[in-house]
Amino acid sequence: MNNIRSKTRNKQIVDILSLTAIVILAFVALLPIWWIFRSSLMSNAEIYKFPPPFFPQNWRFSNYGKALEYFKFWQYLKNTTIIIVPSVIAGTLTATLCGYSFARLRFRGKKFIFSLCVGSMFLPSMVTLIPLYTMWTRGLGLGNTYWPLVLPYFCGGGAFSIFLLRQFIMSVPRELDEAAKIDGAGYMRILVQIIVPAIRPAMIVVALILFIGLWNDLLQQMVYINKPEKYTIAVGLTIFRGAYKSDWSNLMAATCMTFAPGVILYLIGQKYFIEGIVMTGMKN
Amino acid sequence: MINVIQKALYTRSIKSTNMARQESRAAYLFLIPAFLGLAFITYLPLASVFGLSLFKWNALTPPVFNGFNNYISLFTKDPYFLDSIKATVYFSVIAVVGSLVYSLAVAMLLNRRIPARGFWRAVFYVPYVLPGAAVYMGWSFLYETNFGLFNYVLSQLGIHKVLFLSDSSNVVPSLALISVWLSGNLIVIFLAGLQNVPRVYMEAAEIDGANAWHRFIHVTLPCMSPIILYNILMSLVTNMQIVVPALTLTNGGPGNSSMFMTYLMYRYAFQSNQLGYACAISFVFFVLIAIFTIILFATSKTWTFYEGGDDRK
Repeated sequence: MNNIRSKTRNKQIVDILSLTAIVILAFVALLPIWWIFRSSLMSNAEIYKFPPPFFPQNWRFSNYGKALEYFKFWQYLKNTTIIIVPSVIAGTLTATLCGYSFARLRFRGKKFIFSLCVGSMFLPSMVTLIPLYTMWTRGLGLGNTYWPLVLPYFCGGGAFSIFLLRQFIMSVPRELDEAAKIDGAGYMRILVQIIVPAIRPAMIVVALILFIGLWNDLLQQMVYINKPEKYTIAVGLTIFRGAYKSDWSNLMAATCMTFAPGVILYLIGQKYFIEGIVMTGMKN
Repeated sequence: MINVIQKALYTRSIKSTNMARQESRAAYLFLIPAFLGLAFITYLPLASVFGLSLFKWNALTPPVFNGFNNYISLFTKDPYFLDSIKATVYFSVIAVVGSLVYSLAVAMLLNRRIPARGFWRAVFYVPYVLPGAAVYMGWSFLYETNFGLFNYVLSQLGIHKVLFLSDSSNVVPSLALISVWLSGNLIVIFLAGLQNVPRVYMEAAEIDGANAWHRFIHVTLPCMSPIILYNILMSLVTNMQIVVPALTLTNGGPGNSSMFMTYLMYRYAFQSNQLGYACAISFVFFVLIAIFTIILFATSKTWTFYEGGDDRK
C-alpha cells in the first residue's frame, strides 16, 4: 500500500519535472523569435546597449515604415502570392488525379509507373536544377518569369503528394465508388463527388506541404528571377541584407514582416498543419 | 439454349473488355500530369545532368565533349570541392543527430501528462512555418559577436566571446543548431508515434520491474523504429541540400568551411557559367544521397521493428 502511494507520488514529481522542462524548452525555442521582434522595435543605439534590455524602451513601430522605404514588402508579398497560389492549387488537384489513378484504377504498366514515381521521391531538387534551368530559359525562353517556378506544380505536385493522396484514397471504402459506378457515374464524377469529399483533409495537408516548400525556397527563386520588380519575399530579403548589413533595427523589422504571413496562416490553420504532419509520418 | 448462353457470355466479355479499356483510358488521362512530370521534370533532367557533366560548357559557346575530365579535376584539382563534401556531410551529421535527439526528447516530455499539450506542441512547431531566408537573417543577429543574444548569455556564464559565424570551426555547428531549432515537424511526428506505442507493453515492462531507462530502450525505441527511420530519411535529405545560409549569410566562408555542395554547384553554374562542371557536382551529390539512402534502408532491416511481424516490410 505504502509502495503504491510512493509510486504515485514519484509519478507526480516526474510529471511536474517534465512540465517544468517543457516550459523552459518552450521559452528557449521562442526566445529567438522574441529577440528578433524586440530588436525590430528598437533604435540601433538601444540594440547596442549593454546589458541588452529584454523589452524595448518604447515600441518604435516607425522602424517598419523606415524599412518599407527600401524593402518593398507588399510588392514581394504580391509576387510570392502569384507564385504560391497557382502552384499550390494545381499541385493539389493534379496530385489528386494521379493518386486516384494509382489507388483505384486498373491499367497496364501501373506497377512500373508507380515505382518510377516513388523512386523520384527522394531525388533532391538541386540535382536536376541545371538541366531544368537550361530547358526553361534557353529551350523555352522563360527566364525572368514565374513559369519555371509554377509549371512543375502542374505536373502532379511531386511524388510525395501523389503518394500521400494515394494512401488516403486507398483507405476510402471501395463500396462507395462501386455503388456510384452501378448508378452509371463516370470516373471523373466518382472522383469529384465521392473521393474528394472523403479525402478533403488530406488534400488540405498536401496543399500546406506544398506551401511550406515554396515558402522556404530561395535557391530556385534566385536562379530564375533577376529583376527587382519580380523579387519574391525570400529573394528581396536576401538582397536587402546585402545592402543594409549592419543596420540591425532595419533588418530585423524586415525579417519580422516576412515572419508574419506564415505565422498568421499557421494560427488560422493550426489544426491542419499539425494533423497534416502527423499524417505524413503515419502513412509511410 | 446453349447458343443463347454463349451469346450472352460473349457480349458480356466484350462489355467487360470495353469497361477495362475505358478504365485504363481514364487512368492514362488522369496520369498525364504525372507522365509529364516524371519525364520532363525528373528523369530526363536526371539523365541529362549526367550527360552534361561529361561536357565542357560555359553557356556561351557550344558544349565540348570532355569525357570524365570534369570529375577528375573535381577530385584532384578543385580548391573547393573536397571541402564542400566535408562541410555538407559534417553539417548533415550534426543537424540530423541533433534534430532527432532534440525532437524525440521534446516529444517524450510532451507525451507525459502535461496540461495544454496541444498548446506546447504548437509552440515548438512555430519555427517551421517561418521562411528559411528570414530565419537565417534573424539568427545572424542572435549570433552577432558584440551585441548578440548568445554572446550575452555566454558572458553571463563567464565564457569569453565566441565567433559563431566568422570562425571556420564554429560556423557549421552554429548553422546546424538553427536546423535543430527548425525541426518542429519531427517533434509532431514523434509525438504521434509515441501515442501509438501500445500501453500493454509499457505496463508489462513495468510489472517486470523495468526502470524508465530500460522501458525507453526495450519498448519505446523498438516500437518507434519505423518512425525514427522515416524521420532520419526526411531530415537527411533536407539537411544534405542545405544552401540558404550560404546564400544569405556566409557565402561559403570563412575559408571554405560552409561551402556546401549545393552552394558550390550554384556558384559554378550561375556565377561563373561553368554549367558542365557544375553538373558534375550535382551528379556526385546525387550519388552521395543515393548511397546514404541505400545504406539506411539496408541496415534498417536489422534495427527497425514492425508490429505484426515481417509482412509490412
